[in-house]
Parts: sequence; C-alpha cells; structure tokens
Amino acid sequence: MNFRLLYFRTMVLRKQWLLLLPALALLAAVLLVPLGRSVLQSFGSPDWTLDHFRALFTDGVTLTVLARTALTALAVTAIAFLLGYPYAYLMTRVGPRMRGILLVVVLVPFWTSVMARNFAWIIILQRGGPVNSFFKLFGLDVVLYESVGGVTVAMSQVLLPFMVLPLFSALGGIDRKLLLAARGLGSHPVVAFWKIYWPLSRGGVVSGMILVFTLSLGFYVTPALVGSPKQSLVAQLLGQRTTQLLDFQGASALGLVVLVVTLVLVAWANRVGGTISAIGTVAAAPAAKDKP
Amino acid sequence: MKSHRVVVPAIVALSLLAGCGGGEQVSTDPNAKVTLTFTAYGGAGQQAMIDSYQKPYTAAHPNVTFVNTSPPDVSQVKAQVMSKSVKWDLVSVAPGVATQNCDKLFEPVDTTGIDPANLVEGTLGKCYVGNFINANPIAYRTEAFPDPAKAPKTVQDFFDLQKFPGQRGILSNIQNGILEFPLLADGVAPKDMYPLDVDRSLKKLDTIRDKTTFAPNVGALQQAVGAKQVDIFILPDSRLVPLMNDGTDITVVWDVTVAAMNGFAIPKGSPHAAAAKEFLKTLCGPEQVAGISEALGTQPVNKAAKPTLSANAQKVQAFGPANKGEVLMQDIDWYAQNFDGASAKLTNWLVG
Repeated sequence: MNFRLLYFRTMVLRKQWLLLLPALALLAAVLLVPLGRSVLQSFGSPDWTLDHFRALFTDGVTLTVLARTALTALAVTAIAFLLGYPYAYLMTRVGPRMRGILLVVVLVPFWTSVMARNFAWIIILQRGGPVNSFFKLFGLDVVLYESVGGVTVAMSQVLLPFMVLPLFSALGGIDRKLLLAARGLGSHPVVAFWKIYWPLSRGGVVSGMILVFTLSLGFYVTPALVGSPKQSLVAQLLGQRTTQLLDFQGASALGLVVLVVTLVLVAWANRVGGTISAIGTVAAAPAAKDKP
Repeated sequence: MKSHRVVVPAIVALSLLAGCGGGEQVSTDPNAKVTLTFTAYGGAGQQAMIDSYQKPYTAAHPNVTFVNTSPPDVSQVKAQVMSKSVKWDLVSVAPGVATQNCDKLFEPVDTTGIDPANLVEGTLGKCYVGNFINANPIAYRTEAFPDPAKAPKTVQDFFDLQKFPGQRGILSNIQNGILEFPLLADGVAPKDMYPLDVDRSLKKLDTIRDKTTFAPNVGALQQAVGAKQVDIFILPDSRLVPLMNDGTDITVVWDVTVAAMNGFAIPKGSPHAAAAKEFLKTLCGPEQVAGISEALGTQPVNKAAKPTLSANAQKVQAFGPANKGEVLMQDIDWYAQNFDGASAKLTNWLVG
C-alpha cells in the first residue's frame, strides 16, 4: 500500500465521518447537553455534594422501588421471551404471505396510540372487567388493575414487538440445513435444537431481552395509568420528585443511578452472548429470508 | 483536523440555540399590546376561565390578549425560572406552593385596589390571588349503600371497614385532604388540625390502605367512580358535578369537608409581569367568581358573588344550604412551610 493510497483512504474516512454530523449535532443539542446538566445537577452543582445519592439509599423507599422495578422488568422480559420466541420461530417457517400477516399482527401495537392501549387495559383489568369476571368463575376476586401484576401484563403486550423483531431477524438467518445434518447424523430433534438452533439464536435472544428489559426499566405511561401510586415503579418516583417535590437534584441522581445500572446491564449482556448490533439487522433481514 | 473546525462550532452553536430563547423587550407603557400566556389545567375548567376572566378582560382592555396552555406544572415554572427563559405569565398554582416559593419562583402580586371585605380569608396572598375554592366532601355511590339508615354519615365511617365495607377512593394529591381526613377520623377537632401531625395521619391511613384506591389525579378517580371501581371516595366538587350530570347517583356525606383555595401566580421574571399583575386583580371579582362557580360547581372566594347554580352543583355547595356539617379550610401558611416535608413523607408512605 503506497502512501498516496493511505492518504486517500484516510481522507475518505474523514469525509464519511461528516455524514454523522447532523445526527451528532442533534444528539448533542437535545441529549448530551441536557444529560450533562442533569448529571452535574445530581452532584449538587455548583456546591458539590453526594447528599442526593446518599438520600437515595437511605430514604427507605428508593431501593424498594428500584427492586420492584427491576423485578417487574425481569418478569416482562421473561413473558415477552416465552411468547416471542415461538412466534418468531413460526414466522420463519411460514410462507411470505402468512409471514406478512404475522408481522402486521405484531406491529399493530406500534401503530396504536399508547393512551388507547393503556385505557383498553384498564377496562380489561378493572373490577367487573373480563379478567376479574374470569377469575370469579373459580371463586377468586382478582383485580389486576392498580397492581404490579396488571402493569406487567400490559407492559408485556406493549413491548412484545421489541422481542419478536430481533428474534425473527436472528432465527431467519439460521441455516436449517445444519439441523438436517444433525438429524442425518442421528441426533434427536430436541438435542439438535438445543445444540445447534438455540446457540445460533442466542444473539437475537440477548438483543430482544436487552431491548425489552431496558425499556421496561423506564416505562412511565403504563405504570402511571394501569398501576397505582401504592406500587410505584421508578419512572413514577422520578415524576413525583420532579413535578411534585421540585427536587430536580434528587431526581437527577435517581435518573443517573437508573442510567448507570442500565448501561452496566447492557454491557454485561453484550459480553455474555450475542450482540446488541443484531437489532440493526432487523430491517435488512426479511429480504434475505425468502430463499427456497 | 479540518473537519473539527466545522464540527465543534456547529455543535456549540446548536447547543446554544437549544438553551436560549426569550430576551423580549420589557415594556412599561400600560397601553402597549401584550399577549399573556395563561396556564391552567385545560378542559372545562380552563374554558370557564377563558369565558369568565379572559374575554371580559380583553373587552375592557383591548391591548391585552391571551394564549392558553396546560398543564400548570410547577416543575415547568422552576425549569423556566432556572433557565431564565420564562414563557408563562399566569399559572394556576396551589397557594401554599406559591407562598413557599414566593419571590423565588413567583413574583409578588399587587393587591392594591382589591376590596377584601367580601373575600374568604386567604384569597389574597403575597405571591398569589385566589380564584376559587375546591371543597372535597366525602361522598359515595348511592347504589353501594342503598339503605340510608345503614349508609356512612361521618368521617369516622369512611375509615370503618367493618361497618362499611367497600372500596375507598382517595386522591394522593396533598391538596385534596388526604392528610386531614384521617386526623378528623382519629378525633382531631378541625380547629386543632394545624400544625398537622403527618405521622399520625399516615398511621390512620394504614388502617384502610388495603381497601383504598389512591388515584394520582382527579381524572383517574373520577373515572374510577364512573366505572364503579370505588364505592366511597373523596373527590372535589368540580368533579362530583360532571359525574352526577353523567348519571352517577352520588350522595354527599356532610360531616366535615376539607376545602382548599386555588390561586393564580406569576412566574418570576415573566416578561409581562406588570400586565399580569393588573389582570390578577380581577380574578376574585364577584362576576368572575360567579361565572366559575356556575361552570364548574366550585365554591366562591367572593361572598358577594351570586352564582345561579344547577341542581347538581347545589348538591355539592359546601358553603350553601346543602351542607349540614362544617368546612375545614386547608391552612395555606402551614403548607407553605411544610409542603416539602409533608409531601415527601406522604410519597414515601404511598410507594413503600
């Protein structure tokens, strides 16, 4: 490689970098600057202190709510995975027309107003609603409205697409001839699935789980409408700190803790298996799938 | 390094753009054209304010017009004041909050020329002008307690789960009596309510916690009553009237009713503060007060107001003949001094 070519390449790379400029400038203005100010605020700028962080761990409430939020997010992720994996698998096994229909079905929540969906859940889950009536058949008076249980169910539905799409992309890319080969060599179907299909799908599983889990951690509208102040999740607590107590510094500290926890989890999940970049292949995936 | 010369200034410029705004010329001419940004809770309430405050004011002062926006989050006021770009000129706010943040988030108001003779105590504050009173009586869906002889009649009954089973509904908002009612039930006389014992109140609330829906806002509780999710509840007058208008049969328990003043304030640094101060003086006039009561069913701050109330509004008239009990007004000064501590305790109790 001669020097001139190297120089040329560097220049091209540099120019390509300019393509990022509009997005970077926008991010800087609407994300990085406010986020930076929020971080500074959480440390009490200009009078530096760690009191706001200390308060989070000593007020006896924040930790409870953080734990409740994490458990809810875990439950939502598990439900979305259990529903999403077979669904995404089915999507890779049917014809193009049926796949289109399945895709539309999973995307309908995306196209429906958040408010409409949450109010629908209120009606379904409230006292005297279909779910309550169903449990009454068995002599149980279960009201999921205004409970973490109800919030979990509603969030699982809202977030299901974020599980199905990366999974569909990952599962669609798996070469099924590998399974045939395993069967041909005498493997039991379950073993073939476990030893070949599952490891190959893990990237999509991790991507979907990261997406659903991190989105669940910060979910606000569903807990605020379907849930109850009695069982607040962290976003409701943030809302109360800012809008009612005007405690911007405490809210910034809480927000920062949630952000750091989320980033740590994402980094960890990235190392454990797959990569979050699998999400990026979603858009390109369906086209590649229609091979005979 | 050529590209950095473009990138860095571009980012800085954009960031500055995002952070800036305002810088409007402040006029001292009383006849100069001004447009006041009026921030309230939207819906029927704000429409009533447009009809009763803004339209008559513009008719009398053609140079003053209004734009309306909502909701009036105090956190927004704080953000605007902190960033020195105040967009709102008038904002609906709890008097305790206005007093607590007087001269910090809100401009001192000018009450010269207002005749206080007919005004309810607390209507005129240092940093707010009261415009109506929300009464929050205990009430129940009549069909939940159909036999009047066996229906709840006192504040104690609301807290008696044995004698009166059923789902309770309480607003978690501190302005609607969530802290006063438990103490009343616990035997505290209305005149001894303040200084308010928050811990004792929460202890009493503990006794009904499992059978209570704590609604984060009035809309949610109104919906819960309409959908028969709660049987007995504490809702403001202005929400009881539309529920009754929509056909929900409601009986008000006239024992002690906790009432709270509502007010308007001017965010500190409003570019039109002078015009806003003049406008605020009109809020507690008898015609304006009557107009709001007629539209919403709230209680008037001006005793000279003669509203013509609908049949349903008369049923919730805490200051009228319907009320056989007494009214406990929330103590604005106590809340001004204790709002943060009481709110934090309540929030912690709720989410715990």
